[in-house]
Amino acid sequence: MKQTLVALFLAVIAPLTGADAYRIAVIPKGTTHEFWKSIHAGAVKAERELKAQGVNVSIIWKGPLKEDDREQQIQVVENFVGQRVSAIVLAPLDKRGLVAPVESAVRGKIPVIVIDSGLESKAPASYIATDNREGGRIAARELGKLLGGKGNAIMLRLQVGSASTEAREEGFLEVMKKDFPNIKLLSTDQHAGATRDTAKAVSENLLNRFGKQVNGIFTCNESGTAGMLLALRDAGLAKGKVKLVGFDSGETLNAALLAGDIQGLVVQNPMKMGYLGVKNAVAVLRGEKVEAVVDTGVGFVTKENFNSPDMADMVRPPLDKYLK
Amino acid sequence: MNDTAKRMLGKAGPFFGLILVIALFAIPGESREAFLSYHNFKIILTQTVIVAIGALGMTMIIVSGGIDLSVGSSIAFTSVVGALLVKHGWSTAPTCLATILTGGVIGLLNGTAIARLRMTPFIITLGTLGVARGSAKWLGDNQTVNYDSSPINGWMTTPDPFSYALPAGVWVAIVLAVITSLVLNNTVFGRHIFSIGSNEQTARLCGVPTQRLKIAIYALAGCFFGLAGLFQLSRLRQGDPTVAIGLELDIIASVIIGGASLNGGVGTILGSMIGALIMAVLRNGSQQMGWPTYFQEIIIGLVIIVAVFLDRLRQGKQA
Repeated sequence: MKQTLVALFLAVIAPLTGADAYRIAVIPKGTTHEFWKSIHAGAVKAERELKAQGVNVSIIWKGPLKEDDREQQIQVVENFVGQRVSAIVLAPLDKRGLVAPVESAVRGKIPVIVIDSGLESKAPASYIATDNREGGRIAARELGKLLGGKGNAIMLRLQVGSASTEAREEGFLEVMKKDFPNIKLLSTDQHAGATRDTAKAVSENLLNRFGKQVNGIFTCNESGTAGMLLALRDAGLAKGKVKLVGFDSGETLNAALLAGDIQGLVVQNPMKMGYLGVKNAVAVLRGEKVEAVVDTGVGFVTKENFNSPDMADMVRPPLDKYLK
Repeated sequence: MNDTAKRMLGKAGPFFGLILVIALFAIPGESREAFLSYHNFKIILTQTVIVAIGALGMTMIIVSGGIDLSVGSSIAFTSVVGALLVKHGWSTAPTCLATILTGGVIGLLNGTAIARLRMTPFIITLGTLGVARGSAKWLGDNQTVNYDSSPINGWMTTPDPFSYALPAGVWVAIVLAVITSLVLNNTVFGRHIFSIGSNEQTARLCGVPTQRLKIAIYALAGCFFGLAGLFQLSRLRQGDPTVAIGLELDIIASVIIGGASLNGGVGTILGSMIGALIMAVLRNGSQQMGWPTYFQEIIIGLVIIVAVFLDRLRQGKQA
């Protein structure tokens, strides 16, 4: 009995005292999107590589109970600080809301690496994300090319207050206005909302109003693109009658791309975010220097380049290899 | 206000509201042509189906003096169940039956807990809201459930988008609304629902089996929610565990705008259907007008308050 207790005690205390035993909490914004699964896979990839190098590291994957719930994510961060994990890799749901718990973690000597979305604080050791504004610019250039520099376009926004998609929307509008003065923007002020269903309803309503005039559409995330895709199909405007350029990749979107219902997708590299997040966290813990800002890059995937190896990690992340 | 006027207001109020919102979007010139087209009303009707079918069940519950907050989660749960069944090769009929019954079972559990344990419907269904949502994510392995294809996919759309035919889902909602309305007004079961909503004690003393009745109401409403889940599946062509968050509020609002009272004993199916349409028209119209999103939310909120105010006017004397 006594021995068991001592063993138990050691098991509990070992991660706290062992010099090279790192416990790294990875906190996504939600857990249901494929995007977050890719980040998880990237984190597991880093864990396995580091273990192979003899570093004793383990990751703890935990998202907020409800998607998009800032309060819940704050609690998750606070709980990990309470558990004294070695480091935290966080995709903050809000650029301001998460500042307080992150700064208190850093004051408690727990380094924080921010991934995916920005945080308005100097406390995080490193920020690893997509340059979303550039993603929006790429979408505008490609859609402009598809339309031959003229015609009517619609941009469907996502949600008020979502920093990453707002940056995409701004980047899109910037290039559209500057480089394609002959493309008229019919609607740029409607929001798709959180789910595919809300996005589909908004898309149907927009297409009813503008379906006869519109030539090209930009949607700025996965659920928005999927909702618009369903609405275009139902309205008989798919198969390239109206050109659709979306953002992010996923099972549904990839299939539609190959079927010719979507002309192009701006894709991010979430696996790289998860991977570098954990790598940089360990580097900070070992006292090494890390870059303050890392851009994981975006690609533009079309039916033609879908199968090229450059795109593999972005459109076909090997989730099974790391998560099963 | 005399009684006849009050009755008139009660019956005509929701209709009046619907005509008012349609007129609101029909006046301005630019979007009028697109808004006032048959095709647009087809879109509005299709977008109303899920809320309308949910409101059928909710009307029964609210008339009986109860409430069900778990509708949105039930819809998500049953649509994930349906998607999984299709994925595992079940054919259409058994899939539909099982999906609807899944909703019925959730309702049965709600009703049993409320009637037998004598707990407040608000609390019980608030609990089920979480249980069903979590179970949906669990079943779906935290992801959307995708399947190749199924006849179910075609129920919320028509092969030719510009044809005059309405999707099957719209017809199902209309037929069910007529049947439910007849049941509420012309059967013993229906009249009993009104009686326990008006005064549960009196109803029991008059020999109404209140406990069994409550269980039956929640179970039947649950079947409606399961059917709504099936149409949600048809609309998205995938089972999405995160769909319909907050939809319970839309459904409750439809019933209230339609003239039902949260105190129970009052409410009509026709009113609830119009309530659901009013909200769909408001969303559709304001999006085509290009109004900002926040403005749409404000307007819908105001409509609910005005509807409840009218409800108070109507009940003024009784209260």
